[in-house]
Order: sequence, then C-alpha cells, then structure tokens
Amino acid sequence: MKNAKRKTLLWMLILFGFIIYFPGRMLARHHVNYKTAVTDHPLKCTSCHVYTSKNKFVTSLINEDYYSPFNIAVSHDGSRLYVVAQDTDELLIVDTESNSVLHQIKVGVHPHSVILNKANTLAYVSNQWSDNISVIDLAVSKVTDTIKTGNGPSGLTISADGSYLQVVNTYGSDLSVIDLSTKEELKRLRTGSDPTGTALSPDGERLYVTSRRSKIVPYGEPLVSDLTEINGTTLRVSEHHNIEEAYMMENIAFTPSGDLAMMTLIRPKNLIPSVQVEGGWMMTHGIGVIEQGANGRIIQLLTDEPNSYYSDPFDIVVSPDGKRAYVSNSGADRVTVISVDSIRAILKETPKEKLKNIANNLGVSSRFVIKRVPTGANPKGLALSEDGKKLYIAEQLEDKIGVLDTESLQMEAPIDLGGPSRITVARQGRRLFNNAGHTFQKQYACYTCHPDHHEDGLVYNMAGKDMGRNVTNTQSLREIGDTPPFKWNGKNQTIYKQDGMRFSTVLTRTEQFSYDDLDAITAYIKRGIKYPPNLMYNPHGKLTESQLRGKEIYNRTKDNFGNVIPENNRCYTCHPAPLYSNLKAADVSTLAVTDDSILFDTPHLGNIYASPPYLHDGRAATLEEIWTVYGEDNKHGFVNDLTKMQLNDLIDYLKSLGGPEQEENSTQIQETASF
Amino acid sequence: MFKKSIYTSFIVLMTIFVLVVAVQSCKKKSLEGMIVMSQCKGDIENPDYLSGSRWRNIPESRIVALHTDAPDQPLYKLTEGFYSACAPKISYDGNSMLFVAQQSENDIWQIWEMDLTNRKTRQITSSEGNCIDPDYLPGDRMVFSKQEIINVATKEKGYTLYTCNLDGSNLARITYDPSTYFASTVLNDGRVVAIGRTLIPEVKDAMLMIMRPDGTKQQLFYQSEANHHLQGRVWEMDESSIVFVEGDADNEKDITSISYNRPLHSKVNLTSQIKGDFYAISPYQENMVLASYRSDKEGHFALYGFNTQSHELGTPIYKDGEYHVLEAVPVVKRDRPKKLPSEVDLNVKTALLVCQDINYSYMQTNDSTTAVNKASRLEILGMDETMATFKTEEDGSFYIKVQADTPFRMQTLDGNDNVVKGPSSWLYLRPNERRGCIGCHENRELVPQNAQPLAVRKDPIPVPSPKEIDSLKRDLKM
Repeated sequence: MKNAKRKTLLWMLILFGFIIYFPGRMLARHHVNYKTAVTDHPLKCTSCHVYTSKNKFVTSLINEDYYSPFNIAVSHDGSRLYVVAQDTDELLIVDTESNSVLHQIKVGVHPHSVILNKANTLAYVSNQWSDNISVIDLAVSKVTDTIKTGNGPSGLTISADGSYLQVVNTYGSDLSVIDLSTKEELKRLRTGSDPTGTALSPDGERLYVTSRRSKIVPYGEPLVSDLTEINGTTLRVSEHHNIEEAYMMENIAFTPSGDLAMMTLIRPKNLIPSVQVEGGWMMTHGIGVIEQGANGRIIQLLTDEPNSYYSDPFDIVVSPDGKRAYVSNSGADRVTVISVDSIRAILKETPKEKLKNIANNLGVSSRFVIKRVPTGANPKGLALSEDGKKLYIAEQLEDKIGVLDTESLQMEAPIDLGGPSRITVARQGRRLFNNAGHTFQKQYACYTCHPDHHEDGLVYNMAGKDMGRNVTNTQSLREIGDTPPFKWNGKNQTIYKQDGMRFSTVLTRTEQFSYDDLDAITAYIKRGIKYPPNLMYNPHGKLTESQLRGKEIYNRTKDNFGNVIPENNRCYTCHPAPLYSNLKAADVSTLAVTDDSILFDTPHLGNIYASPPYLHDGRAATLEEIWTVYGEDNKHGFVNDLTKMQLNDLIDYLKSLGGPEQEENSTQIQETASF
Repeated sequence: MFKKSIYTSFIVLMTIFVLVVAVQSCKKKSLEGMIVMSQCKGDIENPDYLSGSRWRNIPESRIVALHTDAPDQPLYKLTEGFYSACAPKISYDGNSMLFVAQQSENDIWQIWEMDLTNRKTRQITSSEGNCIDPDYLPGDRMVFSKQEIINVATKEKGYTLYTCNLDGSNLARITYDPSTYFASTVLNDGRVVAIGRTLIPEVKDAMLMIMRPDGTKQQLFYQSEANHHLQGRVWEMDESSIVFVEGDADNEKDITSISYNRPLHSKVNLTSQIKGDFYAISPYQENMVLASYRSDKEGHFALYGFNTQSHELGTPIYKDGEYHVLEAVPVVKRDRPKKLPSEVDLNVKTALLVCQDINYSYMQTNDSTTAVNKASRLEILGMDETMATFKTEEDGSFYIKVQADTPFRMQTLDGNDNVVKGPSSWLYLRPNERRGCIGCHENRELVPQNAQPLAVRKDPIPVPSPKEIDSLKRDLKM
C-alpha cells in the first residue's frame, strides 16, 4: 500500500514536471522569439536576465574591474611608462625593465591623457569626467595638486618654456591655457567641435588642436571640420582651418624638423546612399598632412586599401629621425607604419588641384604604408621611447601595453598590467563594439559612428526603400539600454533585434553576429555605457534660477494665458524623468517627404546638450531650432505662447539633464521659480 | 537471482560494446592528411578556353588519393566507377569532396559529392547542360558553372554561375550577363571569384570577376595583361595573398600572386625564374602550395611543393610516367568563409543604380575654365537595342530603376547625342539590389566623394525591360 502511494506520488510528480516543462518551454520559446525576432536563438535565460542585470550583487559576480589603458607617456630614459588606466581612474607607473606596475595612483574621474614636464619630475593627468588635472609628483608618486579646467579635459601640451599647460576641453570645445606657476587658468580659446588632439611645433611657435565632430551644416552640404591653429607665443587663435570631408581627427603630431604635422582622421560617406560597402561607400580612414612653411597645404591620404580597411585611426607619433610615423588603428587591432619620406614625395609631386582626388584613392597607401603590425585588442595611445627604438601601445581592451621593436617591426612580449585574465561577457561585447571585424572588409566598427559610445553628430542617408530616403540622425548609445524600442521608427523592440540579421543585411553586410556575440554586445550596450556627468550645465547638482524656471515650463499644465495644455502636448508626458522618454512613438509633425514611417520613437534626453543636431533627420542645428524653426504647429510640445526668455529657460533646463544616475543623486532644491 | 541479473547486464553491455567496435572498424578511415588529385592519361594540350573542354572538364580523368607519408604506396582510386572525374574540392570540415564527373563517355558532366569517410558518392546536379567547377559555400550550399545558351539569336553556349543546396535543391542562377564563367572559388570574405569572359558583341579577354554569392555587387577583381590567360582556380593563401596559374602570350604558365587587398596592382610572377609549366596549384602548408609542374612540354605534370616566399620548387612529391597530375588538394580542415547576407528579393522585379558623376575622372582638374567634352546624357543599351536615353543631373549624377537580371551597358552622350565615353562593360543587377558607382572612371581604386547626388532627390528614372520595349513598339506599330 505504501509502495503504491509512493508510485502514485512519483507518477504525479513526473506528470507535473511534464506539464511544467513543455508549456514552460513553449512559453520561453515564444518569449525569446519575440525578444530576438528569430526562432532559433538558444533558450539561455542567462543571456538576458543575468548578463544585462543591473543588480549590484549579480554584477559583482559576473563583472570584473579592468584597467583599460588609454594613453601613455614614457620617461626620458625609457625606464618608466606612465599609463592612464581609464576604467580604474588611475595612473599606473610601469617599470620597463621588469615589466611590472610599480605604483597605482588614484587620479580624477575617467582620466584621458598624461604628459610629463621637461625634467620628468611631474606628471599631469587630464580627468575628463571631473574637469580637472591631477598633478603628480613623480618622486613620491602622489597627487600633489589639482588644477581646474574647462569641460572634458583631454589632450595636453606644455609650452616650449614650460610655463603653460595647454589643456584641450572636449565637451566645452575650447582650450584652457594654465599658468603652471599659479596653477590658474589664464585664458580659454575657442576650438573646433569636440576636440581632443593637440601638438606643439618643435620650435614652440605653433599649436594645433584637432576636432572630432564636424561643423553642423544642413544635410546635403559638404562636411567640414575645424583644425585650430594657435600662435604658441601670443597664445591667440591665428586660424581656423577647414578640413573638408573629414572628421574624428583624434590626434596630431609634428615631425621633429617641424616640416609637417600629421593627424589621424576619418572620411565618412554619410551623404551618399548607404547601398553598399564595397568600394569604400561607407567609411574610409586616413591621415591629414599639414605642410608647414610657405605652401601650407593640407593633404588627406587614405591609409585603407581597396579591399581592406583600417578603421578608427586614433593616435599618431613620429620617430625621432622624422622618417616614420606610427598610427594606431583602434578598430582593426593594428598599428600602421608609415614612411614619412614617401609622404613628402607624394606632397612634392601632387599639384594642388589634385589634392581632392588623391584623398579618395585607396591605392595611394601602397606608396607610403610600410607595414601593418597586429596588436592586442583596441590599440589607443602610442608613445615612442626617446631613442625611437620602442613603440609602446596602450591596448585598451587587452589590459596590456604592446611593445613594438621599431627596427625589426616585430612585436615583443606585451607588458601585462595585471588586470583580470577572465574576459567577461560584457567585456567581450565591448571588444566587439570597438572592432570592425564584424563589418564587410572591416570597414567600420560600431564605435566609428558611435565614438565614445555616443554619436558622431552626422546624419546618414540610410536609403530605406529608395536611395534618397530615410535620412537619419545618429543616436547616442549612452544609457540607451533601458529605452526600448530602438531606431527612430521604433521597429526594434530589443537590442537583440536591432543588432540581429537585418543589421547585417543593411549595415554590416557580412555574416551576422553569432548568438554568443549577440548576447555579448547586447550585454555591453544595455549595461556598460554610462553618461559622462553633466558638469557643463549641472556641475553641482543644483539647478540655476534659469534652469528652475525652465523646469517649471517643462512640467507646466497651463499655458501663459491660463489655458490647460492637453496632456499629450506637455513636455513631461512624452519625456518623463528619469529616462526622459515614455518609450512610445509619437507624431511631432517632423515627418519629411523622404521618411517612410509616420511616428517616431521618443528619444531619451540625458545629456541632450551633447547631441546636436536634433530631431530624427538632424534638421535642427540647436535645441532652440526645434521650436523656433520646426515647432510652429505646437505638435512637439505646446511652446508657441512662450516668450524668448521662457524658451531660453526651457533650453537651459534641458541642457542640465543628465543620466538616471544624476537624477537619483540630484540634491536639487525644488524652489518655486519666479518669472 | 541478484548475481544473475548483474551477470546478464554485463553480458548485454559487452555485446553492445563489441558491436559498436565492430561497426566502427568496418567504417573506412578518413582521408584526412592525404592529398586528393585528379589525373589523366590523355591529351591536355590545346584546351578550349571558351567551351572549357579539355580545360575545366578533362575526359577520361580520374581522382585518386595519395599518402603523403608513403607516396610510393599505391594510390587510392576514388572514382573507379566513373568514365571521367576531376576538379576536386574539399569541404571546410575536410570530410567531403565535390567533383565533376561523367559516368559514361558521352554523358553530360554533373557534380557529385563524395563522403571521404566512407567513399560513398551522390549526384548533386542533374542538368541538361554540363555542370562544372563546384566550390563549397557556407550554409551547405555550393557555387558552380552550368552550360547554357548565352546568345539566343546565335544559340551560342557559355557557362553561367549558379548556386544550390548540397542536395541539389534551391537552385539559383547568379550571373545574367552575356559572359561565360569558370573556376569559381569562394574567398574568405564570403564572395565568389570566377574567371569571366565577355562573349557579346565580341569575345574579350578573360578576367577575374568577383561578386557576392547571390550575384550582387559584381565587379572586376583582376585583369591579366593582353594575351595572357587564366589557367585555373584562384586560391587564398592567407589574409592578403591570392595565388593562381596564369599563362603568358607564349603559353608559358607561371604561378601568379596578387594581394587580396589590392588585386589590380599587385601582381607578382612567383616562378619567372623556373623553366617549365605549371598546371594548377592549391595551398598546402604555411607558405607552401601543391603545384602540378613539368619542366618540359613533352613530359607529364608531376606533383611538387612550391614555396611562395622563397620561390623554390621542391623535389617531386609524386610523379607518374603514365598520368598527368592535374589539380591536387590536401584533405584538411580549413576556415569557413563568411556567410554573407543577401539583399536579393525575388518578389521584387527591379533594382536601383545610382551614379555620382558621369564625367568623373581621376585626372580631372578642378579648373572650371578647362574646355572638356562633357557628357550630359546617358544611353542604356540592351542586348539588341537602346533601352533608354535620358538627361543626367547638373552634377553628372543619375539614378535609375532597371529590370532585375537584365544585362545592359551604358554610354555617355553630349548634348548632340555624340558618344563621349562607352559603351561600358555589361552590367546586371539582381532583384532588389541597390548599387552605386562613382562614374565612368578609369581608376578602380577610387572611393566616392562625400556628396549627395542630385539625382537621389528625385524618384529613379525607370528603364523599361526589353519586353516592355517590344510591347511599346507593338502598340505604336513601329
């Protein structure tokens, strides 16, 4: 009897198991099919529910703290490397004899660059997310001072006499001149948009600052970026050079003789219908060469080849003898070795009227590229030893410093910074994001159009059904994971779908991501991309009076005449905090004749100040234009009753918005604004 | 009782084990590590580069396997039941082999696949025209050349490229121009490269054409010098080097290397210092290819190793006084090429083409005062007649909607309808394909200027199909 009961119980359990398993599995299949928009994605709950989790306990288990070396400086005697570890907010001091890290010095937030003074006694580190410079006494390996800068400090130079530190402010689009005797900012000079790179001529007379974003022009007009030239003696801007058809000029270097300055750049094809990758129809990469002296020509040369592209050129350094230049291709895991003499020969024989055409010739690189040297993942900053015999490469996503013997052009054993050896799913996703290996002929990485995981400020002709259609403003990927659906038309309910099969058909045009890779890149995009703190418009977490007035307008329910504003026409209805998006599509009266869809996904507004141009097709150059030029019918929020001052206040408030973290940490005092 | 049951279970398990071992031992060993090669006794001189006869399909040929460790051992005859068999191609996992064969003397050449673990063969194609030169595509498909009528008027035959599943299903034609295609190879980037030769209006020199496996984005990959000819399949050695055999004007056949990265301007003759002829090659080991070579035209082609770095020819790996060694391939696993997505939609009957500037020239100056004969119109030429003529935009751009899978050529005209440039080589676009070109450029290494063509601000100009033109003529009683 007892046995019979047990058997019955056992059978009931088995039956219950079957009832749970089969419908459960079916439900899971339906769920995964919906999320991924395919029917064969593996049923792995961990893909979505663990790797993309924001739970602190879960993330502490599955993630690692990597150093992510970004830029390097090397001491005169070559015995020390000073490595900016961007993800741990540290400067690492490395002994090149023992290949070991001697000191880890905590600096500011998200450090960018490091430079040493002439005596090699001090190091200056620019902290891009804390708007300051850490001054480190190298004798004691400690931060001894902090200098306030403009917004988003990045590239650094020291004047010829050692008196001034020149700091490029990326977010502020200007250059701070710091008097090193007082540690005070002496002046601030306007540069191009989103600058990072800077170099001082060997005679100290000329300082260049390169910009990464192009000037904002109406779609269809030629792309132009700014190269700012500053007089090294007077510290005044002497010229803004227009660099045509190029952007993302990350870094610049002079030859030792000062006859040339060379910068990295990308030549995008955003105005051309994106119908193919073959033939360089999406992106090309190269260098800009600025002749010094009387000629003063600026020539652009592609470092790509007809069937092979070397995406995202980042840093450039020139050998002490001036004969070679080295370029890190971050998206191709390569360092390109260039013969500078060959470039001089090309310059000599190329008449000015042919400069434009030579910049579009993929065959020219065979004349000046000596070698492509494979590196670890995502090579960024470069530093040459003073004798030029060793090139040190910051392999950001390898957590190592690559070492190139410049005589044999062979890589030596890399310097391991001692980071985690395990590659987490999100780290793998970040590698994929930054690597062009998943586009046809490696022509571009996700990073190329989303530099710093943001957006490149360009509007692309995505050529939906016809070639002149679907002009699309690139969207920022920062904190985008929690704001589905994706794409301007909101057709992709998840990142799995966004980066799935159709992504490979219309964008990367090569084999789609494997499902493991798709899981990894989704994990990274959903959880790995943070907003920089909005120190520019909300530095202390307290709104200004104007911003508070703007906030009132943002949250208002009645217009200036006391009439109730329909709920669906209030700012906060479609853009509610903390994400500033209701995750729904809306008609804001911006549909162009060249658009396919009627409704547009409501974008999030975090750090919106950093994302011009605006609207789905980038027609609004500024936030103001959204309403002053394109908001006449009051469909994109009820605004036409606002005075100019009120609109200014609203814009001030919008510019103060940051990410959800800022919203949570905000100590804003909710005061009543007075108009 | 208890012990007996254990004993019985043990006996049952042992029986199963013995049976499994027996079945496994009955299976033939894989050919992994061996070299598979096609051979023939007969005449291989005077190959017909137009029809492919005695060139891509060799009558009375056979496929054998050679022990590399013991080349003196007798060869494994793999295709004994066939009258002719050649063109072996090994799958990415090293377990299967595609080849072309005739079962009897006058049979049509068909494509077969052999399971190299048990030597079983199965026929893949059953065509009324010869099917030759197969290669594996990712996703259990293959690409091959199929004999068809190219010119309906003259009944002239040629080979068009097809793809199909490895069971012969889902057959898809991918080339539609009046050209003949041979010796297709799938490159690591997922594209198909083949020897193509235009047949109409006159026969032109063969060149290497490259396209996606759905036939889209076809373009020139490599062009031989005048009077040179491409002898056989191309092979990718590593990320950047491609090798093949090429004959010169004196019919001396050498190994040519080109860079994948820059194929049109990187040719190197690797064997210019070696007297004699090469027939075919394939990658073997690092910097080493298997080469069928003979030192004089009277002898038989034998199998050698050739170092592509030092340009040295080794001692013969295998030679036979009776048979030529033709195409030899090692049975090894290799990386699978990329599986490219397809933009072809067979429900769409048209395709789109945009051109940036019909007057674009690399050598042009930006000096607007220079007097040049500028084109302002474009003529689309079909097989027999003009399909459309229209004015291009001010910036020289045009944007047209053409009938898919319909060959056409283009020529530019000035305001008086005088030909400025052209006609171009044949083009065709696949259903739903969208393609761009920068102009009638002589430099194929140029990328487009980043400028929006004026033409795409309007709807595309429709180019009627030849059938529509006929219908229009009938309506107008022309």
